[in-house]
Amino acid sequence: MNEILSKEKSIYIQISEMIENDILRDILLEEEKVPSTNDLAKIYTINPATAAKGVNILVDSGVLYKKRGIGMFVSAGAKKLIMKRRKAEFYENYVRAIVEEAKNLGMTKEDLIKMIDEAN
Amino acid sequence: MNTLECKGIVKKFGSNEVLHGVDLTLERGKIYGLIGRNGAGKTTLLSIASGQNPATAGEVTVSATDDIAAQPLKVWDNQDALDLICFSRELNITGGNAGVGGLKVKDYLKAAQTYFPNYDKALEDRLVKEFELDVKKRLSKLSKGMLSMVTIIVALASKAPYTFFDEPVAGLDVVARETFYKIALEEFSESGRTFVISTHIIEEAADIFEEVLFLDKGKIILKENTQELVERVVHVSGKEEDVDAICEGRKVYHVEKIGRSKAAAVMLEPGEELKNTADITVQPMNLQQIFVAMCGKEA
Repeated sequence: MNEILSKEKSIYIQISEMIENDILRDILLEEEKVPSTNDLAKIYTINPATAAKGVNILVDSGVLYKKRGIGMFVSAGAKKLIMKRRKAEFYENYVRAIVEEAKNLGMTKEDLIKMIDEAN
Repeated sequence: MNTLECKGIVKKFGSNEVLHGVDLTLERGKIYGLIGRNGAGKTTLLSIASGQNPATAGEVTVSATDDIAAQPLKVWDNQDALDLICFSRELNITGGNAGVGGLKVKDYLKAAQTYFPNYDKALEDRLVKEFELDVKKRLSKLSKGMLSMVTIIVALASKAPYTFFDEPVAGLDVVARETFYKIALEEFSESGRTFVISTHIIEEAADIFEEVLFLDKGKIILKENTQELVERVVHVSGKEEDVDAICEGRKVYHVEKIGRSKAAAVMLEPGEELKNTADITVQPMNLQQIFVAMCGKEA
C-alpha cells in the first residue's frame, strides 16, 4: 500500500491493483482487514468515493468481502483468484499483441518461440 | 432535501452581466471542484450562493435535513439558512493596519467564531498548530500563503454543512497545500459536509474532487463526476480524414491542425472505449488538459 499514484491510469484502478499487489506479496493476508476507504482517501489524498470505487471492484471480483459494520476483508483464496485473472489479462494484453506484432514483422511461429527462449 | 440549489442566478454589476442564469444543485456529502479562468465569475457565484451578495435575478435555497417534507430555506437575508453555509473569502489586505489588516490573527478568528453556531474552537487550535501560524501577528503582516491559512482555518472550523473555499491554496507552499488536502479530506470523511473548492492548481487537487464544475464566462458549462470525465475525454490525432471520421457525431473540443495532421479532444459516450489503430492515436487527457480544451482559446 506504499506505492505512489501515477497519472497513467484511473485512480480507482490503481487503488484496486495496489491492494492486489499487497495480497500477492503477502503484505495483506487472507482473512485480514484491509484499510478503510477513509484511510485510503487520506493516505493517497483522493476522494473517499474514488477509493470506494477501487475497493468495490475487488468486492465484485470476489477478492475482498464485506463484514457488515466492520469493514472489508481479504477473501480465502484471493491470491489464486488474482493470479488466475492476471494470467487471462496477460494473454489478452500481451501475448496476443506480441503475436500480432510478430506477424507484422513477417516472423514465423518458430522464430517467435526461439526469441522467447532466448529471452528466458 | 439536503441540497443547496441555485436557480437562474443572474448577476449584473451596472450594465456588465457576469453570471448568465446559473442553475446548480450541490448535494450533501460531496467535494466539488470549481474551476474557471480569472473573471469567469467563481467568487461572485460563491458569494451569491452563500447569501453574501444579492443576485440580480434568480434564487438560492438550502436544506440540510433528510426530511423530505421539510421546505428548503431561502438563503438571502435568512439567518437560519446562513447558519448552514460558510464562504471563506480570500483575504485581500490592502490598507495596511487600517480596517481588518490591523487585527491580530487571534482576534480575527475570535470574530469569525461569532458568525458560526457550530464553530469548533478545538479544530481551530489544531489547525493553527498544524500550519504553524503565529496568531499574535497582525493580518497586514501576513504573507499571501499565511492569509490563505487563516481563511482555511475559518472554513474548516465553521463546521457549516455547506462550506465554500475560495482559492484556499493560493500562495501556499507545496507542503502546506498537501496538508490542506489531507485535513480537508479528514474533516470531510468524519462530517459528511459539502465542500466547494475553487482552484487554479487543477491537477494536484483533481483527485479529491468527486465532481468538477467548469465555470466559463458566467455559465456552468460542465458538471461531471471527475473520474468519469477523465475517462471519457480523450485526445485523438492522426490524418485529417481519419480524425474527422472519429469526430463525426461526437462532442469535440479544441481542434488543432498541422499540415495533413489533425488533433482534437473528443468526448466519448459513457463506457465507450476508443483504441489506438494503425491510423489514429488515442491518448488519455488529465483534468487540466480537459479544462484547457473546453475553456481555453481556440487555436
